[in-house]
Amino acid sequence: MIRDSQDVIVKTLSRLLVPFMVIYALYVIMHGHHSPGGGFQGGVILAAGFVLLVVSHGLEQTRKRLSEKAAGVLSSIGVFIYAGIGALCLILGGNYLDYGKLSKLLPVVPAEARSLGILGVEIGVALAVMAVMFTIFLVIFTVGEFQEDDRSEK
Amino acid sequence: MNDFFLILSVGMCVLVLFCLYRGTFGPGVLNRAAGISAIGTKTLIILLLMGVIYDRIDMFIDISIAYALLNFIGTVVLAKYIETTGEA
Repeated sequence: MIRDSQDVIVKTLSRLLVPFMVIYALYVIMHGHHSPGGGFQGGVILAAGFVLLVVSHGLEQTRKRLSEKAAGVLSSIGVFIYAGIGALCLILGGNYLDYGKLSKLLPVVPAEARSLGILGVEIGVALAVMAVMFTIFLVIFTVGEFQEDDRSEK
Repeated sequence: MNDFFLILSVGMCVLVLFCLYRGTFGPGVLNRAAGISAIGTKTLIILLLMGVIYDRIDMFIDISIAYALLNFIGTVVLAKYIETTGEA
């Protein structure tokens, strides 16, 4: 269903635009606490980059970069980072997601530990959102054909 | 100076109505796709003008870049759909 597009304009433009998109998504994630954006929005922009890749370069090219299995693993890793940082604060004697307590592990003052903790949580959220969005898009876009391919591989 | 940008934004909003007419009644799918894409571009400009009016252009530029990227992807996906199903 999603075959390689033969259009030169779409292919060239997406080849230029996808790296910019990934860098912009990283910027949105990193600057989430003093400009609009954050983990969720950055993850959505990352997933949009993969959607553009599927539409312009076909499913096979995209599978080489991010397979469905890798997307599933990445979504679990994202949730694990989020919950892990929360539980780490709990173990260090604070509340759940009380980032100030991370200063016992990191050689920084509590205020800076708070900033770093929020950044870590946002990276986790972004990974989870990116992987889940990509999986949902693939499942909707390749109705049925997706599972046949899966079976033939086994 | 703010009045100038406000008038400019109102003019843009009026132009959006023309594109909306093309997007709703336009003969064929391709005219509709072009109309919707033009509305997206005009929304981008209106967002930036709002940023100038409220004096927070640094915030609104981030929003408008994300909006432009998603608008482009929407148009490409729509074109791909039309290509696949063969409805012109």
